[in-house]
Amino acid sequence: MIYFDNGATTFPKPVSVKNAVNSVLSNYGANPGRSGHKMSVKSSEIIYECRENISKLFGTDNPEKVIFTINCTAALNTVIKGVLKRGDHAVISSLEHNAVVRPLEFLTKNGVEYSVADYVPYDDEATIDNFRQAIKSNTKLVICTHASNVFGVKLPVERIGALCKIYGILFCVDVAQTAGVIPISLKDNYIDFICAAGHKGLYGPMGTGLLVINSDTLPDGLVQGGTGSDSANTQQPEALPDKYESGTPNLPGIAGLNAGIKYILRKDINRISDYEMTLSQKLYDQLNLIDGVILYTKRPEKRWSVPVISFNINNLDSEEVSEILNRKFNIAVRAGLHCAPLAHKSFGTIETGTVRAVVSTFTTVNDINYFANSVRKICYDNKIKKRN
Amino acid sequence: MERNLIMFSSVTFAMKGKNILMKNNIFSKVVRTPMYLQNKSCGYSLILNNDIDKAMGILRSNGISVLGTAAVDRL
Repeated sequence: MIYFDNGATTFPKPVSVKNAVNSVLSNYGANPGRSGHKMSVKSSEIIYECRENISKLFGTDNPEKVIFTINCTAALNTVIKGVLKRGDHAVISSLEHNAVVRPLEFLTKNGVEYSVADYVPYDDEATIDNFRQAIKSNTKLVICTHASNVFGVKLPVERIGALCKIYGILFCVDVAQTAGVIPISLKDNYIDFICAAGHKGLYGPMGTGLLVINSDTLPDGLVQGGTGSDSANTQQPEALPDKYESGTPNLPGIAGLNAGIKYILRKDINRISDYEMTLSQKLYDQLNLIDGVILYTKRPEKRWSVPVISFNINNLDSEEVSEILNRKFNIAVRAGLHCAPLAHKSFGTIETGTVRAVVSTFTTVNDINYFANSVRKICYDNKIKKRN
Repeated sequence: MERNLIMFSSVTFAMKGKNILMKNNIFSKVVRTPMYLQNKSCGYSLILNNDIDKAMGILRSNGISVLGTAAVDRL
């Protein structure tokens, strides 16, 4: 299959990731942090190595502040539900995923309120101003995506962070779509929490996610239980990462994630970013020449976007296009609303959804050409003409 | 032979300590802390043959919290 559904989950994974998972299951997959035998210690070493590599990737010096979760949604829930209490207010962007919006909607039943700051395309000044205006005296947390999972446009998180610093507000960035794709540093920016998926641009297996804490204000933990530490104490340990990590961790997943992050560090994230952006631009340019294809953003440029392209074909349902690509051309994409109704409302596609194509380090120029030719063929077969 | 034990609250801090000591050419091994040495059970320690004072200094200067130290002869 020609795989362009990397925005949901990257595929294929590097061989090193498969080997790392296999090695856990075949060689040393004992319970980490619970026992003192060699297999258990080896398991703990791999988990700690992964924390160190994640710290390296995000420019922080505290591996113990890397918290493993089951996905990015769980990490976001930890921050949102752990920070916000009755009477608190939060600000989010108009590009947020339901992983942010739904926990907030849930909290509104408990006296939490939130406002949406509109993203203004290609105008950071206006976007920042919308965030500034949305801040209230009881605003405790700002949460925003680093880049839209639907349209790839970036939010000026560096400047939003600076704004939060001025107002003394906690700042959480959802890097689900950007981790491993473009660099982001906790050293250089005012960011309290980073939430990431392990199975997208970090090339780990599904069932892996992470929260990186860069703040002295710690969210309440959502799950309590055994940590393998301080066991006579019936209270949850306050020390990190144990405060947030109860129960046996996903060792095969974390070992795979560790290998995925090492793959990124080895390849160099800046080179990955350049490569994927070049492919994305090629795809955009070719789609832009096809009569009947609707694109919703400007040509992707690093200044404004990450390599995510959304499009539609005139008079064809986005899910229908996805199905034709799957059935006739053996191409995998995701269509519909991508769990991000706010983003679709912002771009006027809430009724239609879009077809989303996302490249990875494994995508080739031939894949791009084949994809564009397939879309051209669909338009031709369906006699699609340019919308006037 | 009597060896030195540096006790930590969790395996994460034991691993962190081990890696920092290794960068300073002090080699140690992660072990479970014996029950009799702990007020609150379940923790991990680093066991090392010597350099305990130097090791403690390095850990302190790196902000790693240590629960305590002990001399042991059975590990």
